[in-house]
Amino acid sequence: MPRMKLIASVLSLSFLLSTAPAWAHFGTIIPSDDIVTKDDNKTIEVDVKFIHPFEGHYMEMAKPKRFGVMHQGKVTDLLGALEADKAKPPGEETPVTFWKTNYTIKRPGDYTFFVEPTPYWEPAEDTFIVHYTKVCVDAMGLEEGWDKPVGLETEIIPYTRPYGLWTGNVFTGQVLLKGKPVPYAEVEVEYLNESPGNTTKVEAPADPYVTQVVKADAKGVFTYAMPRAGWWGFAALSEASYKLKHDNQPKSVEIGAVYWVKTVDMK
Amino acid sequence: MRPNRIIRPIFAGLAALIALTLIGAPAEAHKVNIFAYSEEGKLFVEAYFPDGKAVEDGRIEVFDSTGARLLEGATDKDGKFSCPLPKKDDLKIVVNASMGHKAEFTLKKEDLGE
Repeated sequence: MPRMKLIASVLSLSFLLSTAPAWAHFGTIIPSDDIVTKDDNKTIEVDVKFIHPFEGHYMEMAKPKRFGVMHQGKVTDLLGALEADKAKPPGEETPVTFWKTNYTIKRPGDYTFFVEPTPYWEPAEDTFIVHYTKVCVDAMGLEEGWDKPVGLETEIIPYTRPYGLWTGNVFTGQVLLKGKPVPYAEVEVEYLNESPGNTTKVEAPADPYVTQVVKADAKGVFTYAMPRAGWWGFAALSEASYKLKHDNQPKSVEIGAVYWVKTVDMK
Repeated sequence: MRPNRIIRPIFAGLAALIALTLIGAPAEAHKVNIFAYSEEGKLFVEAYFPDGKAVEDGRIEVFDSTGARLLEGATDKDGKFSCPLPKKDDLKIVVNASMGHKAEFTLKKEDLGE
């Protein structure tokens, strides 16, 4: 019965297509502590990864182009301090490469860590992906610096102080591309599921729960309320004005502005 | 006897109380913080509110590991205080800002440098 076969193949094809968009990529920077008090260990570990946060899948990550920290308006290059490491994500066979460093906090104030990765070729989307990613660590009670841009190609400027957040708080941010707001930017939001420091796992009842989507307003400002304790990633995606070559063919480049914040339960 | 004689001072007292509460409020919301480090034989102290505002004229006291007070001083308009390193010991530095806002910082002997 050829008709049944046709239906079956259409069904399996549509199944394949429908599952694909659930795999949102996120550049990731996660520090071992995001609020360093005067009594805390001043040396923190900072992990740089390229992942599907909700599913817990890692992509193999090449050495970033740029990695640094901004403190009191001053940018310090830390690329040389990045070391490659391998980890076996939950449910996967082979270990994949990510990057990490230890950083010692010396002064009070906010430390914004940022990374510009090497363009990642994604055959499934026929595009390169470059996620400019940031995270903020506050030190010793001085809450100053978190709302300042680093000056990346694209970046999210927090309108909500990005640390000391309770579960249920909203995170508001502005999406910038070349320093200018991106009106009606689409922002993907994901929860960092089952990871070191978070052994619980959330199951999504359907694909749309995996990657939450919010749109920014005319000034590029978006808001999202975070329903669970842990790390939350916000990725605002734009298409670059340039192309990069893959197999000698010019290909489009997805540039993302990514920001990570942590929520804690009120108890 | 006119009632104003009695009521006026009460109102004045109430007004003063409300004014005091209002002036006091922002400081209540702002915790005093202190940070200290040592460089080239000197002790540097910074006192600040979370938003970066300096704690001006905060009283600084430095104690050694036995609790003996080594010296005292006051922060300048930038919330800063510095002096020659008084002792190679675990140092407790205390800042006392107005209205009983107090914070302390311990600088370990091994972090004092050469």
